Amino acid sequence: MNLTVNGKAATIAGKDNLDVNALLVELKVEQPDYVTVELNGDILERDNFGQTMVKDGDTVEFLYFMGGGNL
Amino acid sequence: MTDKARTYGFETLLIHGGLEPGPAGATTVPIVQSSSFAHATAEDLEDIFRGRKIGQVYTRVGNPTTESLEKRLAVLEGGQSAIATASGMAAITTAVMAIVRAGDEILSSSSLFGGTFSLFRDTLSAYGITTRFVDPTDLEAVKAGINEKTRLIFLETIGNPKMDVPDIPAVAQLAREAGIPLMVDATVTTPYLATGKDLGADIVVHSTSKFINGTGSAIGGAIIDVGRFNWQSAKFPHFELFFKKYRGFAFTARVRKLIHKDFGACAAPMNSFLLSEGIETLALRMERHCSNALKLAQFLQLQPKVAWVNYPGLADNPYHQAAKKLYGDRFGGVLTFGLAYKAAAFSFINGVRLARNLANIGDAKTLVIHPASTICADFGPEEKGLMGVGEEMVRVSTGIENINDIIEDFRLSLDQL
Repeated sequence: MNLTVNGKAATIAGKDNLDVNALLVELKVEQPDYVTVELNGDILERDNFGQTMVKDGDTVEFLYFMGGGNL
Repeated sequence: MTDKARTYGFETLLIHGGLEPGPAGATTVPIVQSSSFAHATAEDLEDIFRGRKIGQVYTRVGNPTTESLEKRLAVLEGGQSAIATASGMAAITTAVMAIVRAGDEILSSSSLFGGTFSLFRDTLSAYGITTRFVDPTDLEAVKAGINEKTRLIFLETIGNPKMDVPDIPAVAQLAREAGIPLMVDATVTTPYLATGKDLGADIVVHSTSKFINGTGSAIGGAIIDVGRFNWQSAKFPHFELFFKKYRGFAFTARVRKLIHKDFGACAAPMNSFLLSEGIETLALRMERHCSNALKLAQFLQLQPKVAWVNYPGLADNPYHQAAKKLYGDRFGGVLTFGLAYKAAAFSFINGVRLARNLANIGDAKTLVIHPASTICADFGPEEKGLMGVGEEMVRVSTGIENINDIIEDFRLSLDQL
């Protein structure tokens, strides 16, 4: 399936859909305990990661509270 | 940290919890003594600033050595995340200012460390933040102190130097009913006696300079977000954007991305390293601090020149049962005792040879101080009374030396009074 991840095109071969926990593993997302996941503009509840499916054409954003901000 | 690691005992978590392998197989945390961090492309740095990617930018906002310390502290308190700060007062200031705004009220224990009392009474009041002080062991007073403007309850696990022991789970229940967070300063007890999560705190603050450092070699503070409080509330409209974007991390995000960043009271990498070193021996040291303090308190109780001893570990102490319920058979390393009058207290302090006369607690060394003339000198009789500070009082932070030597040091000094 083809996704847009953090503004860039990403292809996950051999999968039509994945739950969010599996997507975190598949994409090797850094520090998954701390990441916020936004799916098609909606922030997901962490408790729902296992039940929320990501499918072809979806837009996913991974957000961290750790870095950034203006200095 | 993995679920497997969460099943480890506390002593194992001190050594391994939240700690990731360092470069070249390093088993201690490297000191990354760099003010800023370069990235290969403009896009990389943009992603970090937008929160899309993890990366270090500037040590005021984050640093690898400090981040390692933060992860360890979060694990030890049963929290979901932590922010290390330049000092314990920086931790309290930063955490409190993330929650309250002008017109809001803090309901605080009246039995506080002098620096915190001064912050609440003198400094924050100038910015329109009012603090109501109540006896934290009087649950009716706590309940009566909560009003529609209250946005935070603040307690110390064991009051320093009053040595009172509030029923934190009961206060946590009152905070939950009122829809406001409970912030607990756990400096005196450390997570070895009880984790903030188990006590029912929403946010735990520490002066890590004390028992966590353990050798008096670094100043530091920490804010630990237990992650249980629901910030999506009409009482906290200033959390709305943070809740929307970061959900359960709303408090940590507001602290890290706004208040901590703007106030700038960041931890120094060298201090973060020293504090990480201290964590590993916390259990061993606390065990000795607690057992030495109990033996010293029992010795002092038998001395005719000692008017009174205040240590929750003593069976006849008014807070003994409360402390036992929350902390088991360990009561911390700090105690106070009274002599006949101020001159006797001064003479005692001048007479000890092993104990050091200084304004700190939690060092491996035994420390003594006369609070009324030093750390509480700026307060009048009424405030001193609230804080349990009398002119005849000596505060002791019992060290981890051989207890016979500590007792002998105190005995010789009492003999010359």
